[in-house]
Order: sequence, then C-alpha cells, then structure tokens
Amino acid sequence: MGSIDDDPLDRSRRIGWLDLGSIASSRVLMVGAGALGNEVAKNLALSGFKNITIVDMDHVVGSNLNRCLFFSREDVSSRTSKVDAIARGILSVSPDAKPVPICERIESLPTTVFKDHDIVFGCLDNIQARIHSNAHSYRAGKAYIDGGMEGFVGRVMVARPPDGACVQCGMNRSHSKVAEMRFSCTGKDVVFHEPRLAAEITTTSVVSAIMVREALKIVSGRMDMLISNVFYYDGQRNQSEELEITLNPNCPVHQGF
Amino acid sequence: MAIRIKVKNAETGATVEMELENENTVDEVIESAATFWGKDMGAYVLRKGKKVLRGGNTLQDASIRGDDVLELIPDPEGG
Repeated sequence: MGSIDDDPLDRSRRIGWLDLGSIASSRVLMVGAGALGNEVAKNLALSGFKNITIVDMDHVVGSNLNRCLFFSREDVSSRTSKVDAIARGILSVSPDAKPVPICERIESLPTTVFKDHDIVFGCLDNIQARIHSNAHSYRAGKAYIDGGMEGFVGRVMVARPPDGACVQCGMNRSHSKVAEMRFSCTGKDVVFHEPRLAAEITTTSVVSAIMVREALKIVSGRMDMLISNVFYYDGQRNQSEELEITLNPNCPVHQGF
Repeated sequence: MAIRIKVKNAETGATVEMELENENTVDEVIESAATFWGKDMGAYVLRKGKKVLRGGNTLQDASIRGDDVLELIPDPEGG
C-alpha cells in the first residue's frame, strides 16, 4: 500500500484550490450542537478543520437520535452534554483535532469569543441566538455562516463583514414575533402548542454540506465562489436557488458601522 | 392609489389576489397572506423574483406595481 492510500486527506489534496494548511490552522466557532451541529461538526472534521469550538447548553435526549450522528443511547441515559458528545465524535473521526466544548448559552459568553475565531457557524434553533451570533460576528469582522431548516426546507446565508447584508437584514416582523421561541429538538423549551417538524436528517445533510463547503471556500480564499446572499433549498420540490438580500441601513447591526 | 397584486404560497402553489395601497408595507402583506392561509406562527419572507423584500418597506419603496406576483416563503429557523 502506497502513501496515497495512507493519507486521509489525499482526495482533498486533489482539489487544487483547497488550502489544507489554512483549513487545519483556522479556528472555527460552532454555535448550536443539535442536528445541524452534528452534521457540520462531522463535515468540518472530515474536511481537515482541527480547531473547533462548540457552544450549546443542552444535554442529549432520545428524540435527538434519529438525526444526530454523534449522540448515543448511552448519552441519553447519562445526560451527556451535547457539546461533549460532539467533541468526542470529532475526535473519533479526526484524532488530532482539538475540539473545545463549552456547555453554555452563547449569550452568556464574553463577546470576545467571536474575535477569537476565524469563522462562525450558526447551527441554531432560535432567532434570538441567531441575531446575537450574527451581530457579534459581523462586528468582530468574522464571516458568519447561518443554517436553518424546517422539515424538507432549508436555508444557508453567508454574512461577510464589512460588506454586504447580514442575517438580520433579511428579517422582518414575522421574525420578531417568534424571536423568543425555539424550533428545537429537545422539546423542553418549545413554545409551540402543536408539535413542529424542525429538523429532518436528509435536509440537515444538505444544509450542513453547503455550510461547510462555504467555509472551505472562505478559508481557501475563493470568495468568488461563495454564496453571495441566501441559498434556499426545497427538498419536497427538488428545487434550490440563490436569492438576493440587500444591506438594510436601518438594521441594528449596521448602525454606526 | 390602490393596486392589485397576487401573492403565491410557496408551500402549496395557491395564489391569492390582494388589493393594497402603495403605503402598505411588506410586513403587512406577509401577515395578511399568512393569516389568509391559516399558516402556523413562524418566520416568512416575501420575494419578488430573486429579491427578498424588506419588511418595513412600503410597496412603493419596494417598487411593487399592479399585477406583480410575489411569493411567500417560509424562512426556516430550526437547527
């Protein structure tokens, strides 16, 4: 067996524009460790990212298990935190990675956490934390890649300060009304009276793949290939398209910028 | 001045015709359409062609004209 077969990143090396050195040295902040967090973490680790900070305050519950690769029944019974389970999962596929699990709400952490990383991933299930992560990433001058899903519909937005729209620029009054709600998998804090289908694994796979692919482009300096605004995916109609969101000068994130 | 537009429900393909004033806002169109179709409380955006319309803008600001077809799409926020 030759060296090609020994190298876990051999196939990535064949993609000329991928900067594997930058990918390995970049510092990634992943906010949210649910369905999307699991898939994003798996894609990051297998793509060669090493320095991955994971922030979430929840523990693993049984209803997570149909779409969260790194969670197990044992995690449910031992009430393992989601961040610890994902950190363990990252190490299982990339032993030389350095995952940092932080079991906290992102809003409870000092905002310097955004400055300390190169790229921020929003793998969140609520608008409030999304607004927080988007705003602080933008102000820290860090790219923010946000994913959202509901059933078979997904969305990915890439905000790249100092230019262009941020996630909040695309929000309206309907977002404000549900800002306090959680579209969550744990059930604990969900406000809805009716069960709501938040995450479905095939949609999660598509959305997380696009999110990590955009990060690969950013770290490799291929801004020309990035999603310029927002990418919508409709798995029921098998359609996807990129829509335009313009910078809103009245958006709170851009006030005083 | 009153204008008539059509709003399409991206989830079902159904269309509703609305008579609106130029001063009506995109937020108001979103709320009216979501109420008409009895949609769950959730985040939605309104698009015209490839452009996502800004909630606080009036139809005039958003260059919406009579006979335009807008589309109401869910903005998925789950993770």
